[in-house]
Amino acid sequence: MFVYEKKLQYPIKIAQPNAALAKFIISQYGGPDGELGASLRYLSQRFSMPWPELKGVLTDIGTEELSHLEMVGTLVHQLTRNLTPEQIKAEGYDAYFVDHTVGVFPQSAGGVPWNAVGIGVKGDVITDLTENMAAEQKARTTYDNILRLSDDADVNNVIRFLREREIVHFQRFGEALALATDRLDHSNVYYMNPAFHD
Amino acid sequence: MDTRIMNNNNDCGYKEGALPSCAPLAVGFVPRQQSSTPRYEGEKALYRGTLFPGLDLPLWNIVNTDAADVPARELMALDFAAHDLALYLDTHPNDQEAFTVYKELLKLAEEGKRRYVACYGPVMKSDMVDSDCFTWLNDPWPWDNQTEG
Repeated sequence: MFVYEKKLQYPIKIAQPNAALAKFIISQYGGPDGELGASLRYLSQRFSMPWPELKGVLTDIGTEELSHLEMVGTLVHQLTRNLTPEQIKAEGYDAYFVDHTVGVFPQSAGGVPWNAVGIGVKGDVITDLTENMAAEQKARTTYDNILRLSDDADVNNVIRFLREREIVHFQRFGEALALATDRLDHSNVYYMNPAFHD
Repeated sequence: MDTRIMNNNNDCGYKEGALPSCAPLAVGFVPRQQSSTPRYEGEKALYRGTLFPGLDLPLWNIVNTDAADVPARELMALDFAAHDLALYLDTHPNDQEAFTVYKELLKLAEEGKRRYVACYGPVMKSDMVDSDCFTWLNDPWPWDNQTEG
């Protein structure tokens, strides 16, 4: 089960509202490589994992991703507070605003609602861990791109933290994959799928 | 070509990873982090986004030098250090030295939480065990902007 902690993982205090930034940062809330997909990917993959280290890594990183989802939602919320309709129009937030006002809706920067197609749960140990390594790189690239587009110091401080977490998670998934292959048939690591009885 | 991707010399400039003497073909491989040391001290781990200097690989080498000043920052830093070491322990469960440090970090985080709760109210509902009223609903909530009154 899950228990809520009434605090963020990392401090967020955005001095200046800026809907133009919120418009693309929201992609890490509900876009194809965002934190909602990350948390559901890992927390769903756990169920078929055969070994304790793999269950632990997926549970703990999946849980951390939920705290990142909350952080990205907080960024969008603080960037869109106290805006006038004129500012919303001038900053290009009008198309989003007409559907969601200043609520935080899981969608990509391009406006596509969150979709489970963007996450992989294949039920195969090597496949799922390899998927996760790619997923961490895709999220890292997205944060790189946000840093290329944003000149807000308060926002970039938070984005640098989130980006670095992707690198740490990549390392842990890589180590988890090595722990898995250590336990497989060394003459043929694809002899069978340890997450399925065959 | 960008000179920043060509500045390697012939020395091994990589940090703190280890390759095995033999490894399988046709499967991904990431060098294993050899040790839970060195570690960043204090709030540096929080604002750098990792406890481990060897994993700290910033875009354009631009790094944070602090995190925003909010009341929970000290507690966030203590919890974060313990959390990042827990992820290390997930893949290094037999590293007893790291586990000893982990227990020390847990104690510091517990003390930090007690200090925070005494001043600002519950982080978890169970923190209300000694509270006189239902303070769970008190502002601020984590997403509230604390630059304004």
